[in-house]
Amino acid sequence: MQVSHWRLRVLFAFFAIASLVLAGRLVYWQTAGRAHLLAGATDQVRSDLVVAAQRGMIRDRNGAILATTVQLRSLYAVPAQIPDHAATARSLGVLLGRDPAPIQAALDSKAEWLYLQRRLPEPAAAAIAALGIPGLGFETEPKRVYPNETLAAAVLGFVNDDGNGVYGVEGRHDAALHGVDGRLVVDRDPANRELALGVRQALPAKAGTDLTLTIDLVAQTAAERELAAAMAKEKATGGTIVIMDPNDGAILALASAPSFDPARVRTADPEALRDRAIAWTYEPGSTMKAFTIAGALEEKVVKPTDTYNDVGYAMVGGRRLNNALGRAYGTTSVTQILERSLNAGAAWVGQKLGAQKLNDYLHAFGFGELTGVDLAGEVNGMIRPLAEWYPVDLGTASFGQGLSVTPLQLAAAYSALANGGILYRPYVVASRRDADGEHRTAPAAIRRVISPETAATVRSMLVSTVDNGIAHNAAIPGFGVGGKTGTAQIASDDGRYVDDAYVSSFAAFLPAEAPQFVVVIVLDRPDSRLLGTVTATTMFKGVAQDLVRYARIQPDRKP
Amino acid sequence: MMASQAIRTAPSRPLPVRRGAHAVRRRPVATARSAAPARSRRTAPGAMSTASWDLRLFGAAAAAIVIGFALAVLYLSQATAISVTGYEAQRLSATRDELRRQNALLEVQIAKLDSPARIAADAARLGMTRTSYVPVIAAAPLRAVTR
Repeated sequence: MQVSHWRLRVLFAFFAIASLVLAGRLVYWQTAGRAHLLAGATDQVRSDLVVAAQRGMIRDRNGAILATTVQLRSLYAVPAQIPDHAATARSLGVLLGRDPAPIQAALDSKAEWLYLQRRLPEPAAAAIAALGIPGLGFETEPKRVYPNETLAAAVLGFVNDDGNGVYGVEGRHDAALHGVDGRLVVDRDPANRELALGVRQALPAKAGTDLTLTIDLVAQTAAERELAAAMAKEKATGGTIVIMDPNDGAILALASAPSFDPARVRTADPEALRDRAIAWTYEPGSTMKAFTIAGALEEKVVKPTDTYNDVGYAMVGGRRLNNALGRAYGTTSVTQILERSLNAGAAWVGQKLGAQKLNDYLHAFGFGELTGVDLAGEVNGMIRPLAEWYPVDLGTASFGQGLSVTPLQLAAAYSALANGGILYRPYVVASRRDADGEHRTAPAAIRRVISPETAATVRSMLVSTVDNGIAHNAAIPGFGVGGKTGTAQIASDDGRYVDDAYVSSFAAFLPAEAPQFVVVIVLDRPDSRLLGTVTATTMFKGVAQDLVRYARIQPDRKP
Repeated sequence: MMASQAIRTAPSRPLPVRRGAHAVRRRPVATARSAAPARSRRTAPGAMSTASWDLRLFGAAAAAIVIGFALAVLYLSQATAISVTGYEAQRLSATRDELRRQNALLEVQIAKLDSPARIAADAARLGMTRTSYVPVIAAAPLRAVTR
């Protein structure tokens, strides 16, 4: 019995010590080691995700989708679960239109998990899903899509791999379009399903603002069609067409060439990413004569019927400024200066106006400063300060040389002539729609530049330029058109002009009685050189006929 | 202690002789309820009261266990129902998201088909050409119809 008690005591002591050790360990895990255990357990079940905000949609003025974000399926593989790598690679190769060898190599790479192809076209994803191959699965990923492909690419810009907007509307309105990302903290079961009784903390994402543009898909299509045809015909290095509503500054179309596909920016030529309507400057040439004459008429230093004797050139600051081809026209009226596009006549008017006033009017029409258009990447052109003007600059600036403008500045300035003298800020975003409702953009009148009477006089002179003058090719039967051609030399980096290379342009408005469209067309280095304006006016006719037909504008004169 | 003694002594007391099946059924009298009256004929009133409290405690404990069990079953059933409903809500949510995704893809498809450039390209493929001039007939001003 004594031995038995001793053994019992040893056994008791053993269990007591073991219990104490276990209890101590338990106390440790419940106190000091609790956080570690808790973190480990939480990691296994809890997911903390950023919920990406849906990027806002971009529509044209009639509601057609120009840019939107869709969720596309990306194909992933868990190679260990795929029974036959070779057969799977063959099947996927057919459906993905790819060589099966790289697919099989990826499957054989011993990777635990890998993407086979991201953002699949939906039919291909559906076909792969129908195969039901174990070990293949899908995850959805957002992709910015542009249903009209390259159309209006310069206006829209694009979204880079980081989801940030670059250039155009995407760049300028990136913050509004992007929205605010949300957050979701939730416990999940081994099948990755949310546990209904687990932790759930959700901060919902705030979707991006939807934008409706002033761009009209039909006008944009017409502009891009004509620009593409002219670029092919003239082998020009670049070109642009801007169509504006002169009565409020709304941009109806803005085409730029060379262009790019916003969905495939990686393969685009960097030069193609530049919006030539706002981020490219050139010496405008004769299209500026209208503003010299408008200023002179406003200051009442000339009248449309005033005449001078055209000898083929003008002497300004000791320099001889020739007409195109050096032709002399004798007695010439101010109206005929526009009709015949006479450099000497423009210099004569400029001298009457004076350098100070000419400089003031150029600035008043918005040249040399940003238009304020709501697009990313705008440049301001260059009007040198008056203090830096040489005497000859008065003459050259009168017919658009020695200064640089953007096509959009020219369109805004012609809009001022067309609408009665008010310069509007061009804009492309007509309205924004967010959770608070729709916010319309109010047209912004910057300033009155000239009186309605002066504007009407210049309009009639520009109509005469199309009816009787150098821009007759732009005439449209049944409609009054006012416009002015421009051919300008190209300044090189060394301050000289490039030999035998020009920028051809045409700026116009229609219908003449109550203009609803201002169209500016610019071709950079067309093959036909001095005759590039013929191509520009032909482009204008193609665009304008579509515009008046589409807008159901009544003819304002007999055909 | 008194109650357990009473229970243990119950089988030793004389049982009423009954005939037939009823007598057999009444044989297991060693229950608290049946024992109390039997003892009351032989034990003091104080002991009888203590036994009554024991029975009540037993009853209360049994009731608590039953209620606890019922509550546990109710809780588990509710938790299961919530889980099932949660999974169902997730399934419906996933279905909703998928339908929205499909809808967005269809909207893009519609936009592609509505594209003027695509329509013009298809028209050209079909041999159609753009007219160079579309005559517009200006309508005379409308006059009020009078009778």
